Amino acid sequence: MSLELLAPLEALRTVDPVVGWRAWALGGRRDGSEPRLRPITGRGRPWPVRRPAEATCGLARLHGAPNLHCSCGLHAATDPESLRRARDPAVVGTVALWGTVIEHDHGYRARFAYPQRLRLVCTFCFWRWGLARSRAEVVGLLPRGRLVPLCRDHAALSRRYGLVPRHLFDARGVQQELLAAYAVDPLPV
Amino acid sequence: MNIGEPRRIIEVEPVTLPVPEVLPDAMPEPAPPERVPERVPERTPSEPGPGR
Repeated sequence: MSLELLAPLEALRTVDPVVGWRAWALGGRRDGSEPRLRPITGRGRPWPVRRPAEATCGLARLHGAPNLHCSCGLHAATDPESLRRARDPAVVGTVALWGTVIEHDHGYRARFAYPQRLRLVCTFCFWRWGLARSRAEVVGLLPRGRLVPLCRDHAALSRRYGLVPRHLFDARGVQQELLAAYAVDPLPV
Repeated sequence: MNIGEPRRIIEVEPVTLPVPEVLPDAMPEPAPPERVPERVPERTPSEPGPGR
């Protein structure tokens, strides 16, 4: 921990939720139905539908999340560019944060969160070009039940390299079902 | 995702939660009102019967 952290941090009270950016993996049934937002790392449960996600600390049960001296809390970034380094981004969107929110240099850790706008992204296009040029056209069902949104070019490329999806679903239908489940609007292209 | 060092603590107490309300069609249907059997008025002896 840097010495800077020992100095008291500025504190602010507000009624307006903080809005950040997040990437999620895509969960759901093997027939592509009931799509849900899943944390990218770990084996966390899907984000709850129509009720807030609440942070808990898996490292220490002695403090509430987020704790200033821990890495716990629901994470979000200040801009979508930094999400390009995420491991398996399948859904990108904005998220409202409230309760105790710790603001960092490039993001936030919060007690409560709920998605606001969502969009399926082609994982490979998002890694390469970012949000503006990443449009999912199909959702591939990969081994172990992973659902991966892809553009048609990357779906064809994945076949060429032996990563053959068991099924391909129409990304528009999956996204519509995801938006309906969480009752949120699409992230504009 | 590296979000850097903490800078500020914000306590957010929203007036309304930024979570969509449960839609009416997702609510459980109300139970049908209990049916009360209709009372058949009893005929008093002074009333004329049918056909009189």
